[in-house]
Amino acid sequence: MKNPITYIRQSLSRRLSLIVVLIATIIFVAALGFLFVESRKAVRQEAMDRATAVLDNTVLRVNSLLDRVVIATDNFEWLPVRHLNTPDSIFTYTRRIIECNPDLNGCSISFEPDFFKEKGRYFSAYSYNNLEEGIIETEQEGNAQYEYFYMDWYQLAKLLDYPVWTEPFADYNPEAVYTQEIIASYCKPLKDPDGKYMGTISSDISLEWLSKMVSSVKPYPNSYSIMIGQSGTFFVHPDSTKLLNETIFTPTLEHPDTALTALGHAMQHGETGMRQLVFEGHESYVFYKPLGSTGWSVAIVCPESDIFGGYNRLYNIVIAIVVIGLIVMLFVFGRIIHRELQPLHTLAQQAETIASGEFHQEIHIDKRIDEIGKLNQSFSNMQHSLVEYIKELKQTTAMKASIESELKVASDIQMGMIPRVFPPFPDRQDIDLYASMTPAKEVGGDLYDYFVQDERLYFCVGDVSGKGIPASMFMAITCNLFRMIAQQNRAPWEIATQMNTFLTRDNEQSMFVTMFIGMIDLRKGILEFCNCGHNAPIFDGKFLEINDTNQPLGLWDCKAFKGQVIEDIRDKKLLIYTDGLNEAENMQKERLGDERLIELMADTAHLDSEQIINKFKDAVSLHRAGAEPNDDLTLLCLSLKTL
Amino acid sequence: MNIKGKILVLSVALIYGLSVAAQKVNEKFIFTPQWTAHAQFAGYYVAQEKGFYKQAGLDVEIVHPSVSQTAMNRLKNRESQATTLQLCQALEIVDNDIPLVNILQTSMNNATVIVSRRDKDPLKQVGARVGMWQAGFSQVAMCMSHKEHLNYQWVRFTSNMDLFLKGAIDGTLAMSYNEYYQLLQMGFTFTENNVYRFSDHGYNIQEDGVYMRRDYYETHKTQARKFAQASRKGWEWAASHPEEAVDIVMKYVRANHIATNRTLQKLMLKEVLRLQIDKKSNKREFRLRPDMVKFASQLMKENHMLKKDVTYQQLIAD
Repeated sequence: MKNPITYIRQSLSRRLSLIVVLIATIIFVAALGFLFVESRKAVRQEAMDRATAVLDNTVLRVNSLLDRVVIATDNFEWLPVRHLNTPDSIFTYTRRIIECNPDLNGCSISFEPDFFKEKGRYFSAYSYNNLEEGIIETEQEGNAQYEYFYMDWYQLAKLLDYPVWTEPFADYNPEAVYTQEIIASYCKPLKDPDGKYMGTISSDISLEWLSKMVSSVKPYPNSYSIMIGQSGTFFVHPDSTKLLNETIFTPTLEHPDTALTALGHAMQHGETGMRQLVFEGHESYVFYKPLGSTGWSVAIVCPESDIFGGYNRLYNIVIAIVVIGLIVMLFVFGRIIHRELQPLHTLAQQAETIASGEFHQEIHIDKRIDEIGKLNQSFSNMQHSLVEYIKELKQTTAMKASIESELKVASDIQMGMIPRVFPPFPDRQDIDLYASMTPAKEVGGDLYDYFVQDERLYFCVGDVSGKGIPASMFMAITCNLFRMIAQQNRAPWEIATQMNTFLTRDNEQSMFVTMFIGMIDLRKGILEFCNCGHNAPIFDGKFLEINDTNQPLGLWDCKAFKGQVIEDIRDKKLLIYTDGLNEAENMQKERLGDERLIELMADTAHLDSEQIINKFKDAVSLHRAGAEPNDDLTLLCLSLKTL
Repeated sequence: MNIKGKILVLSVALIYGLSVAAQKVNEKFIFTPQWTAHAQFAGYYVAQEKGFYKQAGLDVEIVHPSVSQTAMNRLKNRESQATTLQLCQALEIVDNDIPLVNILQTSMNNATVIVSRRDKDPLKQVGARVGMWQAGFSQVAMCMSHKEHLNYQWVRFTSNMDLFLKGAIDGTLAMSYNEYYQLLQMGFTFTENNVYRFSDHGYNIQEDGVYMRRDYYETHKTQARKFAQASRKGWEWAASHPEEAVDIVMKYVRANHIATNRTLQKLMLKEVLRLQIDKKSNKREFRLRPDMVKFASQLMKENHMLKKDVTYQQLIAD
């Protein structure tokens, strides 16, 4: 299984399409998020407006009926008070109230126990609509089995001393036939002219029609209305098993629910409002309002799924379209970008083929004029250039190899011109001489030479101006001249004078050579030397003092070079070198320096010439620290031992 | 009379005797709980529905009281053979010269509470209007009111909490298994202050038990014993199968059109079963406690509810 990140990183088309889709997703989320939030607010507001309108209408209709009951009762209230001397007339009044007010189910005018002495303990005139027979029945309803003065409707008015609506209750039937009809009573205390309580006038209405009325009003398909009494008991609810059996708080007895409890309390306290909560198992919006002064409350329960049904459907469809669109976009973009970048892919393959050495790989020339087309064209041009270059390179390499081969030969020839066999004079124990020449390139411009003739040791060390082949050729001439002239047993300054004469002649290139020419009388240990613009050698641990410095050889004519003589050099070491020693540079272009030469030369009494030269070469190598040699390096060390 | 005649007479007498005996065995045993159908009487409904009475050879019919025929009246009028009564009610009846026998005591604790409408200790509301059941059950509360000099104005109510809810009364008596939960169900908030439990304040007097008229008991001891045993079995089954017991209760609730719901009945059964456990022994003892009988009798006599003491011995079977 490929790492997904690696999978994406491996393909530009995948990466680009993913970036595009990610950006598109961010834009979609932001735009749709805003749209949905605002739409939801609008839908919610619309639901509130609709539900509130329905609720207001319902409350208006219910209040209208309740007001009629109150007015009807209040209108008749004065009659019994005025006719207390004829208690039987009260039956006429209750009957009349029912006759005049078809909304009423029943009406009773009930008095305190033993109020009318002649009527006994109970006196409650009660008239009611007998719906089965279609007549109004009037009766005296108090007796030992039905002591009305303990009934709530009676006692509420008595104890509270103001008119009050009872809680809705199931109609009482002395025959214990349960009609399940829910009624409520408006009860008002009756008082004598002195303001003393006498009894209660109570009017009953059936609340059955309320259920029918409110259930027909539905702002949403699954919304429903409920009505609760002050006790929270349902007296209107689509589930008839809950009527008078359950309250709005019943579910909280076993499963505490602060939201439902708060809703119940708000409705009990006669508040108007809206709450969002889980009501009877469904996330719902509950809009509630009190019913007049009854203490009852009506509410419309609108399931959230109803209010936001259309919104949710739209939301789901849009989200599905966006998700599918983004997936399609990812795929299509991937394909398009892949197709657009296909030439790059081909180019990459061709480049790899070319890189592997097949420079003649055919490159398909794209006719596109965009960047990829240009790249393709450039790559094709580059390939042609590369082929040409490789061709030239091959020729150059061959040429270079030939030159290198020739240079090697030249180097061998040059090295063959200087003595390289050590010890140089195996049969002479008094001469300790060692020399070394290391050209910076294949061939160099340094030289050294020595030979013994007639108990005289002639030697020289030189450094031709410039480097490479011209310098090496000038060195070859100089070498030959030295040997040829020195063999004539001349003094070093004479040798220099003569060599200069030869070298300046036809020297159009104005090349020259610095040179130290010496001659030692081996028998006496006398050193004669002529320094022609060369570095001062180290003698006996110090730089040799040069009294007369001559010009380098080959620059211009000079009648007589000057020389010096040291009377006895025996057992003292003489080191002659070219500037490849003291001017040897490291990577930082720092030179080895003259002081370092003196330091190296110190404490070399016990070393022979070869060891001294190797010591100097090691020091140079150490100083360079891997840097390329910047000049030819030539060293010659000698000492004349006293035997 | 010759031998044939004697045999004939004996045979007739035997057949008559057997038929009377058979009649006695099949005699209907009417049991009346003292209130409408709810979980307060779960054990008896269970015994009936699970056939415990039938297994005991009893033909029991459960007849609930009505306004005109209270449980006490039915017992007095011999319309019911057994009824549940609170101990104080039983003492009153015995005091009125109707000897009773307690054949099964279910309650071991007093369930009566006073609930104050405000967040105020009921004991600090001297002269307050306090609701009490019109049907009775308030003897202990009335005694307490006298004893504590609270001088409550007792307001009788029929069966619901509307007077209390609408503020017509300051407090009300309530049963911890019934009205207490009804108030909770009405959104009433109980606090540390507004509930007074009689059982926690030295008035822990047993309540429900099954009673018979003593004269009936004397001639139907076996039936009484069997009824008590089967009823006890019913209660024990209800305690171990509370959910099924509530289902049985709800069957009676629906048949009697009682305005309640399963949740309330479940809570009621739980509380009733709790009240059946004696605080000292921590067991469901099913027995009348002599100390409680003595205390109740003494308290009621002091408050002039009894003319004379009623003793434990007067109530129990031999």
